[in-house]
Amino acid sequence: MNVTLAVKQYVTRMIEDSGPGMKVLLMDKDTTSIVSMVYTQSEILQKEVYLLERIDSQNRDNMKHLKAICYLRPTKENVESLIQELRRPKYSVYFIYFSNVISKSEIKALAEADEQEVVAEIQEFYGDFIAVNPHLFSLNLQGVARGRSWDPTMLARSTQGLTSVLLALKKCPVIRYQLSSDMAKRLAESVKLIITKEYELFDFRKTEVPPLLLILDRSDDAITPLLNQWTYQAMVHELLGLNNNRIDLSRVPGISKDLREVVLSADNDDFYANNLYLNFGEIGTNIKNLMEDFQKKKPKGQQRLESISDMKAFVDSYPQFKKMSGAVSKHVTVVGELSRLVAERQLMEVSEVEQELACQNDHSSAQQKVRRLLRLPGVCELDAVRLVMLYALRYERHSNSALPAMMEELAKRGVSEKYRKMVHSVVEYGGKRVRGSDLVTATDAVAITKQFLKGLKGVENVYTQHQPLLQDTLDQLVKGKLRDAQFPYLGASSLRDRPQDVLVFVVGGATYEEALCVYNLNRSVPGVRIVLGGTTVHIHTTVLTTVHTTVHSTVHSTKRY
Amino acid sequence: MASSYPPPFEGTGEVKEGFICPLCHKDLQSFYQLQDHYEEEHSGDDRHVRGQLKSLVQKAKKAKDKLLKRDGDDRADTGSYESFYYGGVDPYMWEPQELGATRNHQDYFKKHRAARIDHYVIEVNKLLIRLEKLTSFDRTNSDVAKIRAIEKSVVPWVSDSDVPFCPDCGNKFNIRNRRHHCRLCGSIMCRKCMDFVPLPLAYKLTSGTRESLCIPGSPGQSQAPPSGAGASGMGSRRGSLSSLSSVTSMLEEKDDEKIRCCHHCMDTLLKRQQKLEERDHMPDIVKLYERLRMCMDKVDEKAPEYIKVAESLNAGETTYNLDSAGGLRLEVQKYYELIDALSKRILTLGMKDDPAPTPKSLHLQKMIRYTATLFVQEKLLGLMSLPTKDKYEALKEKRKQEQEKKLQQERLAAQESMRKRQESEKNRSVATTNGEVPPAPKPPRMTKAGGWLPSADSKKTHSELKDPLLQQIDNIQSFLRQAREAQRTDEVAMLEENLRQLQDEYDQQQTSLAIALSQKLAQEENLQQGEIQRLEARERSEWEQRAPAADSRQPSSIWECSLDLGEPVAGYVEEDKIGEVTPKFERSPLSLRAFPALAGQEESPPRLRSLGGHVTPPSSEGPNSSSLNPFEEDSTPTEEDPSNPFFEDIQEEHKEVSNGKKEYNPFDDEEDNGGQEEPAATSLGNPFEEESSETSNPFTEASGDSPGVSTNPFEGDEDAGALADIDMIEEELLLQQIDNIRAYIFDAKINGRLDEVELLSANLRELQHTLQEQKKTH
Repeated sequence: MNVTLAVKQYVTRMIEDSGPGMKVLLMDKDTTSIVSMVYTQSEILQKEVYLLERIDSQNRDNMKHLKAICYLRPTKENVESLIQELRRPKYSVYFIYFSNVISKSEIKALAEADEQEVVAEIQEFYGDFIAVNPHLFSLNLQGVARGRSWDPTMLARSTQGLTSVLLALKKCPVIRYQLSSDMAKRLAESVKLIITKEYELFDFRKTEVPPLLLILDRSDDAITPLLNQWTYQAMVHELLGLNNNRIDLSRVPGISKDLREVVLSADNDDFYANNLYLNFGEIGTNIKNLMEDFQKKKPKGQQRLESISDMKAFVDSYPQFKKMSGAVSKHVTVVGELSRLVAERQLMEVSEVEQELACQNDHSSAQQKVRRLLRLPGVCELDAVRLVMLYALRYERHSNSALPAMMEELAKRGVSEKYRKMVHSVVEYGGKRVRGSDLVTATDAVAITKQFLKGLKGVENVYTQHQPLLQDTLDQLVKGKLRDAQFPYLGASSLRDRPQDVLVFVVGGATYEEALCVYNLNRSVPGVRIVLGGTTVHIHTTVLTTVHTTVHSTVHSTKRY
Repeated sequence: MASSYPPPFEGTGEVKEGFICPLCHKDLQSFYQLQDHYEEEHSGDDRHVRGQLKSLVQKAKKAKDKLLKRDGDDRADTGSYESFYYGGVDPYMWEPQELGATRNHQDYFKKHRAARIDHYVIEVNKLLIRLEKLTSFDRTNSDVAKIRAIEKSVVPWVSDSDVPFCPDCGNKFNIRNRRHHCRLCGSIMCRKCMDFVPLPLAYKLTSGTRESLCIPGSPGQSQAPPSGAGASGMGSRRGSLSSLSSVTSMLEEKDDEKIRCCHHCMDTLLKRQQKLEERDHMPDIVKLYERLRMCMDKVDEKAPEYIKVAESLNAGETTYNLDSAGGLRLEVQKYYELIDALSKRILTLGMKDDPAPTPKSLHLQKMIRYTATLFVQEKLLGLMSLPTKDKYEALKEKRKQEQEKKLQQERLAAQESMRKRQESEKNRSVATTNGEVPPAPKPPRMTKAGGWLPSADSKKTHSELKDPLLQQIDNIQSFLRQAREAQRTDEVAMLEENLRQLQDEYDQQQTSLAIALSQKLAQEENLQQGEIQRLEARERSEWEQRAPAADSRQPSSIWECSLDLGEPVAGYVEEDKIGEVTPKFERSPLSLRAFPALAGQEESPPRLRSLGGHVTPPSSEGPNSSSLNPFEEDSTPTEEDPSNPFFEDIQEEHKEVSNGKKEYNPFDDEEDNGGQEEPAATSLGNPFEEESSETSNPFTEASGDSPGVSTNPFEGDEDAGALADIDMIEEELLLQQIDNIRAYIFDAKINGRLDEVELLSANLRELQHTLQEQKKTH
């Protein structure tokens, strides 16, 4: 059930299949991201892969002493490029792997292009998704919806991605979907269709309890992606932006040359791996420990090198020391930049109000606090809009709504028209009307008591009070209590026992908060393994894009018809 | 003991061996103690055999489980995550999974390709045959009409009226845009879409079919293209195709030196030509790369072996010989030098060639170099240093003392228990009035032990061993010895594993036996014998075996007797070692080969030197330098920078060392003869003497052993600027080197060696200079 490992094993197998010798890895844009998430450069170098090339790059030289490993999505363009490549092979031998199902006719076309008999291997390796963490994957798709229904190409891509996850993990699941969402249903059907069509591929060893695929829709919980997150992973993504495991730090004031771009990968960076899911405060402490540890090992000038054994220890540990100093300076820089941004954007205060909006039920205090923050100059445009959005979602039908006043404040602040319109779009996207389950106010007795108890106990951390809706859904799911009425099974088969292996897919994108929640569930519930996926993994800007494309094209489509 | 026998259940906790009570897991030094302990402590417990068996079975099951889950556990241990938490599992810790689903299209692909290839081959051959016909007559001296006739006879021309438009570009044919026929397939195209096969190319292509003499690859390549502008660059570059056709179109119908053809035929011919060219061509980079990989494989093979040996030596064990370890280290380091040199050559490959290598191949070369650097850095790091001779002696002594202490304790305890046993036995024998039982097991044990000693290694014992397990253990031990002698480390490891398992099993068997038969004294002697033999069988616990034998002597003579025992043991080890070492050195007498003349001079007084050296540990520079050095001499002589004073210094040292090294062989021989008479300690001490002083001089030690040094990466930089364009990697290494040298300077200062300080600081300045220069060039 480890998606990172699944992709890594695929790539490793590819490389190993090609035998010894110098190699080049030919990829397309998507597979480049896929591979770079699981392999670092030095790792892949050790496997004799010295060049990484794009199949569509024009300036590749003839290098007949190299073996080519092609890892490509089976798109028309890729197949066409590959045909051209085979007609005039630049490398001695080709090992071709497609990341998904490829049609017989395309294979035939390739076979006919291979006049020089350079193809040694042609296979399907189903790593057609981006493995972010062992339990989190993404398809990196933006704007999958046209109105409330799928963009057809996006549906096809999502189906491919999701089926490839199933194949990579060797799971032939029972499917459940969120009834309130048409898109979830369409995707479920589409996946089912593929499973039926490619029944030979999905013929895996039967387990006692069949795996479960649960397809949800983002619009059911529009609040979660609007909240600020405080885990290391989420903050790095949200505030710095992680692209193929790399952070661009060039805009950090006074950054040194070798820290302009740093790699953050849980695979090779222990500190990152251990602090992925810790919150900002804990990371601060850990950074301090790391520094102290480092300082202990670091010889302070020459005073420390008093004895010969000191010397020897220093020389012996020098490379380790160097590696460690690299890690320390990297994380110190990253965390330093994060805290600079947090202070600059007054994120602590913003987050506190956000959490209050999301978790508590005190309208007057909430609206006062929001309006106070709206008047603060430090709060940036995006954060201000997010606050208003949260307020609008939370107190959508409150009799005494302060929304118009807030909108005015936004206008006064000079927030752009586009953003102000987004407030209404968000309500349209994820308001009460579309929600299948009740997001904010608890309805059943159990939930009410829970909330009450929570209020009594007080909150441990005001910045992390919020629990995503997914938490509840999955809680019920693993207890076998998720209602069939809300999340029906597709087809006749249903699960009688509690599920063991669960794959959750969120149409419209998952969030890092949900990833954390799934991570904790995995660690706390014995015998259950949950993998979370989404068309993308959201940060604030992407969720606004999603909202925009969904709602905006709704207007269009209604106009058209 | 632990390091040479890695415990079978790695990571699952300490594995106890020896006499462990099956009920309370208390370690009781000897069989008797165990028995006593058992009788005293657990006599009240359930003695029922079935109960005992049950617990044993459970234990076996547990062990099995452990073994099966080993992989998973190992993962959990290596990861730094908390693997279990509230009962759930961290996703990072999910058990390993098999490779995801795959689907192979190979067969389908091949089927279609085969059909296509047949077609293609026929096409190519057809073209070649036609080309041959077209070039087989004397074109220059025939008139146009005749040529035309021949050409038409080779392939039927498509009639003009059938083709109103150029099939390639679609332009209409008219008087200005005339039709042209491809001489190879007969089709029609316009002038723009037309190509020419230059005659040299045609000859080259058809040479294969013509069976003519001289064409394998190179002459064809060097053949100068014909003077005609159109054919220039026809050789292999595809890019020139378009320009070619545009230029040739200017030359009107001059078909003397070329054969008119269409794009498609030209394409096919060019591909064919390219294939011919590439067939036998192996670029330099491939050759170098293959050698590089070979060295890396060797390192992968040898380094773990060395690490194992070094670990054992550093723990003061006598399993391995310090000399052979030094040799191994030398060998591994030689490979590092080679890797470095080879990768550097790859990096600079083609730099000076006229058409500079393409950026991609430069990138490739850079990446290979980078990988090699990473490899060396990473692997050298794990290459721990060997203990010096003195240190090794100290370690051994320490270990010996520890064992001694343990032994004494055991002995005391054994005597104690013995006394108790005798009492209890007497009591019991009285009680049971069993006259047959020998009341005192002392005499038989004595004889047993005495009888055993000399034949410890002989095969006679085999027949005596009733237990198949024991026989097996014995067999494996002899295999193990042979394997060690043959230096097959992997087999040794495997055998050791086997041996341990067998011994475990035997232990268990014995324990269960002991429990089941604890009341039957008649059986006791068998058991004793078994235990003693088992102990005897373990090479390294040789001391323990003597415990029962020695305990009959007076306590006051304990020290004396242990010395007595020490002699044969050491002698035995020594024999083993020498067998191991000498072939090794004969096989790789690198230092000898490097300086035959010098070595010859030194050969005469080896004994003197060795003796003197033994008495007063040398502190002079010469023999001090580490074992690594001789290598730099012979593996990379050209790499060295003579202008570097530091290097010269080292070189001098090397010379001396390699002379010193020479002493090993004669000395070993000496020992072989004299070893029996001499006290064991000295005989063991001597061979290591050279190495021992190695680290007493920290300066040279550092220069030899520190990983960062692998000095060579930087020499390249120093000696040239030839590699002026070298990338960041080199710069980083340079920085590292500077840091290292600073460290050495500091060290030298502390030791008050001012001359070295001077040398080093000169060196440092030079490095810094290089670094600055390099920075400038960036």
